[in-house]
Amino acid sequence: MSSPLVTDPAAAAVPVQEVGPGTRSAWRTFLRQPSGLLAALVLVVMVLLAVFAPLIADEPGGTGADVLRAPSGGHWFGTDDLGQDIFAQVVWGTRTSLLIGVAASLIAIVLGTAIGLASAYFRRVDAIGTVVTDVMLALPTLPLMIMLAAIVSPSVWTLTVIIGVFAWPEVARLIRSQGLVVSAMPYIDGARVLGASGWRIVTREIMPAVVPLIVVSVLLTASRAVISEAGLSFLGLGDPDAWSWGRILLNAQRSGVVAIAWWQTLFPSLAILLLVLAATVAGMRFNDIRDPRRNGG
Amino acid sequence: MSKSINGRARRWRAAVALGAAAALGLSGCGLNEDNGASGDGAAGDTVLRIGTTTDVSNFNPLQSLSKTDSWILNAMYPHLLRIDANAKKAPELAKDYTYENDGKTAVFHLRDDFTWTDGKPVVADDVKFSAESIMKYKLGNVAAKLTWVTSIEAPDATTVKFNLSQPYAPFAEGVGFWMSVVPKHVFEGAGDLSKFANDSNWVGAGPFVLESATKGQRYVMKRNDKYPLAPGGKPAVSKVEYRLYPDVNTMMLALRNGDIDLMGTPVPASAAKTFESDSKIKMTKVGALGFAHLTYNMNNKDLAKQEVRQALSMAIDTKSIISSVLQGDAQQMSGPISPIFADYDNTEIQPYPFDPAGAKAKLTAAGYKDGNGDGLFDGLELGVACDQSNANITRVVQLFRESAAKAGIKLENECVERNTFLSRTKDGKYDIDASQWGVFDNPMDQLRSTYLSSNPGGINYNLLKSPEIDQLINDAAGTTDPAAFATKIKNIDKVVHEQAYLTPLYVENFQFAYNASKFGGFEASPSDLLGMVTAYSLAQVKPVG
Repeated sequence: MSSPLVTDPAAAAVPVQEVGPGTRSAWRTFLRQPSGLLAALVLVVMVLLAVFAPLIADEPGGTGADVLRAPSGGHWFGTDDLGQDIFAQVVWGTRTSLLIGVAASLIAIVLGTAIGLASAYFRRVDAIGTVVTDVMLALPTLPLMIMLAAIVSPSVWTLTVIIGVFAWPEVARLIRSQGLVVSAMPYIDGARVLGASGWRIVTREIMPAVVPLIVVSVLLTASRAVISEAGLSFLGLGDPDAWSWGRILLNAQRSGVVAIAWWQTLFPSLAILLLVLAATVAGMRFNDIRDPRRNGG
Repeated sequence: MSKSINGRARRWRAAVALGAAAALGLSGCGLNEDNGASGDGAAGDTVLRIGTTTDVSNFNPLQSLSKTDSWILNAMYPHLLRIDANAKKAPELAKDYTYENDGKTAVFHLRDDFTWTDGKPVVADDVKFSAESIMKYKLGNVAAKLTWVTSIEAPDATTVKFNLSQPYAPFAEGVGFWMSVVPKHVFEGAGDLSKFANDSNWVGAGPFVLESATKGQRYVMKRNDKYPLAPGGKPAVSKVEYRLYPDVNTMMLALRNGDIDLMGTPVPASAAKTFESDSKIKMTKVGALGFAHLTYNMNNKDLAKQEVRQALSMAIDTKSIISSVLQGDAQQMSGPISPIFADYDNTEIQPYPFDPAGAKAKLTAAGYKDGNGDGLFDGLELGVACDQSNANITRVVQLFRESAAKAGIKLENECVERNTFLSRTKDGKYDIDASQWGVFDNPMDQLRSTYLSSNPGGINYNLLKSPEIDQLINDAAGTTDPAAFATKIKNIDKVVHEQAYLTPLYVENFQFAYNASKFGGFEASPSDLLGMVTAYSLAQVKPVG
């Protein structure tokens, strides 16, 4: 039988050292770096835009008299060929992009972490898990996503699932490699000797040690998911009822105004760039502060 | 761990660099590597370069064709009739045609000065062979137009007689316009024509004939020195080169940069401004032979009700769609017969007015209720299917969805990728089909293919099975007296409008852009299928200066 009283001190000592500074001070270190602070700020602004979209701009719809107007005081980001406000489209597009980014990345993280941890600790699972992960990594993801998205009815949820299902292998591989290091540590042997079950060792002993890595993965996977969503929407495989940055670009391309209405492609592209850059920088900075070698620890 | 992340970062960086290098490399050696070549060649030859968006998928002119296929193949293989600028049939290979034997025999009289590029004359036997091959192997959409043919005779080199099982008023026009005439002496040795690729050693009798084809890049056609419909007996342009630009934005830039001289595909209404400031580029406007429409699936229990279909017709603001999506460049329709067929369009009928409140009242009267007070009728939820790649139709669906909600009708936007849309349409898996008919060359063929229960053209998107409509159409089809025929078509126009089997939306105008500083003399025909690149038009083109 497991004995938490005996295993906990050993378990607590090693992972905390591995993680680096405590959670609160980790965040403080993170926010002290200008790039980390800036990235976090951008992410916060994006989330606020998404949540409060209806208060910031009316949902784009109908037709307007000002067709293909360049950015001005009345239309900050200009208008499209129906006279709809591009700013409103970008703000409402933030919702879809963030929602798909976060939800798809959660799917990928749950699947990837489960498979990665199981592979790291259970040798038999590892044999199959590694092969499946390798096969998934070798698959040409984009064509497969395009094929699947074309077969199922396009909606925010089907896109999320498709992107999430194709994004887990990288997470699994990352988590597995870290899990392997942790599971070879003496405190895991200790836990095993004390009779802890496999489930307990994986969830209570190994998982806490890889949590920071999961946080990093969430950010990096989310940024990839945002790009995938924009790509699929641009190819006409997105949700036709939901505004997304990819769809704004698709509208510009389809109506042939790319050469005359730069604002219709610039602003959604900038939004994609900002979100992906912020998520990636935040992920990297977070990885840096929890890395003892970089912090001189 | 940082090693792993840094390693990943490095890999990412390497991948990005590789991707960028690949992209640069691709664009460098991209579609048209020898862009330096201008309209004028070395020996005073002139090359007309035309932009297109798709490759040729089939070089066999007797089979169903995509747009680029038909542009290139129609310039090689003559047709009996062509469609002129006023949407009327005009002579091409045939000088004229008559009906004999109470409309049961159609007789074409051919010109005697058409010549295949291998020197042999084009004769009635070629026409007979083409039609018989189409019937034998059931090739393309022309096979359906030859349904009534019992036998074909070629009594002399310039006369072809089609014997029909029953009179069918638009037979000669339909077959004359759609059927390509192929050289018998070349095609008869090919065996099964449904499997004949015809992808090399081309022999044609149109103004131009293919010389080389490079998939994904270009199709080069050389002049036929004996083409009687060109001024002076041969086209003024020595070569026509189709260049591939999969994206319309790139094609417009290519025209502005002088890489091409004519855009084969129309300029989108919203992008017409692109060329406003360019004095070299001119735009030519033509009408359409098809129209945009919403067609209701009669197998849906709600759409089977006339009131629901009428309410939907009242819930779309076509006028505002025309002014915004098409920048005013389209004509609103009322019934299923396009105003371009002025003789048959029933001008007494009026489009359903945009009246969401009226639509709501109609649905309430039909027994629909809004029990939960959300402004939408309970249980009335319909999907609108469309092809994502059609810019105008996707916008129409978007606006229709918004305006229908005001009438209490919940619509689901089901615009999907093109192939998915086509397979859904084929399987009848839609409630409302929003799409655009391409080319109807005569109203009778249109009504037959869109409303007959037997669905001979495969485009009865209503999945309508109405004995009344069948009877009306069959009755009109056998009417040879032109005035009586027109009256019957007008009546069907009215019945379909009252039943609201479809909501016809608009007939749009297409704009084609070309470099007027280099070429002139194009003879544009209506529709985006014909446009500026018909065989006749290319034969008339002259270099400027």
